[in-house]
Amino acid sequence: MTAPTVSVTKTPAAGTGVLRVVVTKVLTAIVVLFFVATAAFFLVRLSGDPVKLILPPDASAAQEATLRASLGLDRPLLTQYLDYLGGLPRLHFGNSLVYDQPVSEVLLARVPATLELAAAALVVALVLAIPAGAFAALRRGRAGDSGVMAGVLIGQSTPAFWVGIVLILIFAVQLQVLPASGYGGFTHLILPAVTLAVYSVAVIARLLRSSMIDVLGSDYIRTARAKGLSTGGIVVSHGMRNAALPVVTVIGLEVGTLLGGAILTEQVFSWPGIGRLTVEAIQNRDFPLVQASVLFFAATFVVVNLLVDLSYTVLDPRVRVTS
Amino acid sequence: MAPPRSRLTRRDALRLGGLALPALALPGLLAGCGSADGSVGSVLRVAQTSDPKTLDPQKQGDLTSMNVLTNLFDTLTTRGPDNQLAPGLALSWISPDPLTWRFKLRPGVRFHNGEPCDAKAVAFSINRLLDPATKSPIVELRYVKQAVVVDELTVDLRCSQPDPIIPAKVSLFGGVAVPPGYLKQVGSAGFAKHPVGTGPFTFVEFQRDHQMRMRANPGYWAGRPSFDELVFLPMPDPSSALASLQSNEVDIVASLTPDAALQIQGYTGVAIRNYPGIRTSYLSLDTTAGPLRDVRVRQALNHAVDVPLLIKAVLDGKAREVPTMFPRESFGFDPSITPYSRDVGLAKRLLADAGFPNGFDTSLTAQTGDSNIAEAISGLLAKAGVRARVNLVDTGTYTSRLTSNNRSALGPIYLAASTGWTLDAESLVQSNVRHDRRQSRWSSPEADRLIDAEELTVGPAGRQRAFTALQSLLKQEAPFVFLYQIDNIYAVNTRPRWQPGVVGVLGMANAQVTS
Repeated sequence: MTAPTVSVTKTPAAGTGVLRVVVTKVLTAIVVLFFVATAAFFLVRLSGDPVKLILPPDASAAQEATLRASLGLDRPLLTQYLDYLGGLPRLHFGNSLVYDQPVSEVLLARVPATLELAAAALVVALVLAIPAGAFAALRRGRAGDSGVMAGVLIGQSTPAFWVGIVLILIFAVQLQVLPASGYGGFTHLILPAVTLAVYSVAVIARLLRSSMIDVLGSDYIRTARAKGLSTGGIVVSHGMRNAALPVVTVIGLEVGTLLGGAILTEQVFSWPGIGRLTVEAIQNRDFPLVQASVLFFAATFVVVNLLVDLSYTVLDPRVRVTS
Repeated sequence: MAPPRSRLTRRDALRLGGLALPALALPGLLAGCGSADGSVGSVLRVAQTSDPKTLDPQKQGDLTSMNVLTNLFDTLTTRGPDNQLAPGLALSWISPDPLTWRFKLRPGVRFHNGEPCDAKAVAFSINRLLDPATKSPIVELRYVKQAVVVDELTVDLRCSQPDPIIPAKVSLFGGVAVPPGYLKQVGSAGFAKHPVGTGPFTFVEFQRDHQMRMRANPGYWAGRPSFDELVFLPMPDPSSALASLQSNEVDIVASLTPDAALQIQGYTGVAIRNYPGIRTSYLSLDTTAGPLRDVRVRQALNHAVDVPLLIKAVLDGKAREVPTMFPRESFGFDPSITPYSRDVGLAKRLLADAGFPNGFDTSLTAQTGDSNIAEAISGLLAKAGVRARVNLVDTGTYTSRLTSNNRSALGPIYLAASTGWTLDAESLVQSNVRHDRRQSRWSSPEADRLIDAEELTVGPAGRQRAFTALQSLLKQEAPFVFLYQIDNIYAVNTRPRWQPGVVGVLGMANAQVTS
């Protein structure tokens, strides 16, 4: 299957190679997170003053000064910055200015809902996208392909808030089979997960289709066919497997998007996830909470990317050598 | 040789489908075992745009938070169905001298944990609020120096300068009583996690951005609420909140805008209810610069903005025109002062007299949520030749600029609104009229004198005289364009019977729920 020249050199360096990759990636990740943390700190401070938002507009300047001092926002910017950086390694993000609670507590309380929604959306996306992409590839250029691709195009170009509202109107208001919004049982998960998955379905299905078309045109598929294997067997054991590599990359990126990009979906379905928390934090100029959420998103993305890179080594032995 | 065309046979398609089917069916199967909400008895579910910021009533200062907390906590005074001040934790109040307000407390009131709510508890509460360490955003008790226990059921609030409307100010945020013993036991953080008040409902559970559940307090001094459980649901998106109402997951959707309410007009089983409200909108004019320095120009703008048309066309009729800054229900409102006549011709003549026969260019700043109103006002001004470019900013930016030291930070004209929940005209002109207040862009010694008179006089007759004179002066000098007081708008299903007061606070103790 793979070219013999590559498979000869792969075996001895495999273990240490992976370790070196991991160490390099982790160090890079730390640098990336440092820059993200710094940018978050300064950018959010450019955007406005939380004291003005916490107090009603008729507060006096003296009342503002008192509150500013008690929140520690009157200290020099550099002091605040160093304090903040100093807390990061210990995961101390400070207290939320608005909720008057440790930021880590506020944030962690929301992680389960976000993970739950992202995982469900990913399952929905894969379940829909893989058959759709494979089907379109096999039916390339025919009505089935055009139909699937048209559906995918619509899915990719429809905003989540619209899909969400339409689903709510159909399944909650008209049919009354699913709850319109909120968080709780499994039924609450279905509509937001489908809404969130729509975009990912489109991305994954399109990529799988083109990747499959490449693979299906290759010599080993023809050989497999010549051996008399069934189309299904060829698609699943040869086509899918070899078409998977670029798809895995995109799925990895989609996981990052699903974890961080659920803001509109969470808003429409009143889902208590991190996206909605972050929007509120930004609206409130809740500096510590914004900083921590931005770091959370960045860290998630970095970790997912690292996992994707590592997954290559499993899926494609050639990668071990080149790295 | 041409590559063989891959063919998907029917068998293969079925196989692929077979892979997908179990996964698709899974949600349906699990939906069957979806949990019931586990609550007992009758429940009232209320949706508003967001959750309380914190459950510590002394660490929040916004009506959205107070809407929830008012069901857990009582305040010294309250508002009756007629919107008049009524006894709450205090039965009566007097001002023995201009710097003191004395409250006689209701005997026998207890916190949910059994602690007595006596003078000690009330004084503790006020003093906790005033303590800078509490970091309270509640600002209206700015002249209260401290609360002092007189006897077991009497508390004095000592002020640094006279404040005639202390009794109105303790009808919400500042008037809440918190339990001293419990706070000592669990600390502020513990209190915010599991709040204990004296109110008609007791705390059950709070999951931020999901739900806040409360149960009827059987020992409530005014009698147990007639239903068992009260749930507040935060729903930021009005469309999905209204869908939840239609699919029977919510009973009341509060704080709707007129255009959001239009979405479900005509559906069966749900109704839009609008009640008189006091949130009052106006345009602030920078009278210190440009064409707006001329009183004729400012009057012209007032004649040009056709407020009744604005209400009809943009607010679906769900607002009332105001003559000046004051809503009708506020103490100090004088019905003898009438709104400006709406007359574009007159506006043009006034502009020409002031030297602007061809009008002038300016800008109108508003928050993004008010874009439709701002655009409509800009259109009305254009009819008189005033070309006001609409400049939209988000709430955070708007607020920061509104209270910044640069009084023209929001440009020559901006759209503002305030909810004078004290129902006293003082609150509407507290920060924007007297020349030395931060949002004032007008200098008038006469206005300053009248503000001092109404703020420092305790007797109502003298204050009313000052307010009447102030309204005449405001109308004459037009440092603002006076607009409207908007209704409180709710969407409800057929279950609840409840009517809000003009302030629009979501106190649910007297609501009825039919099953």
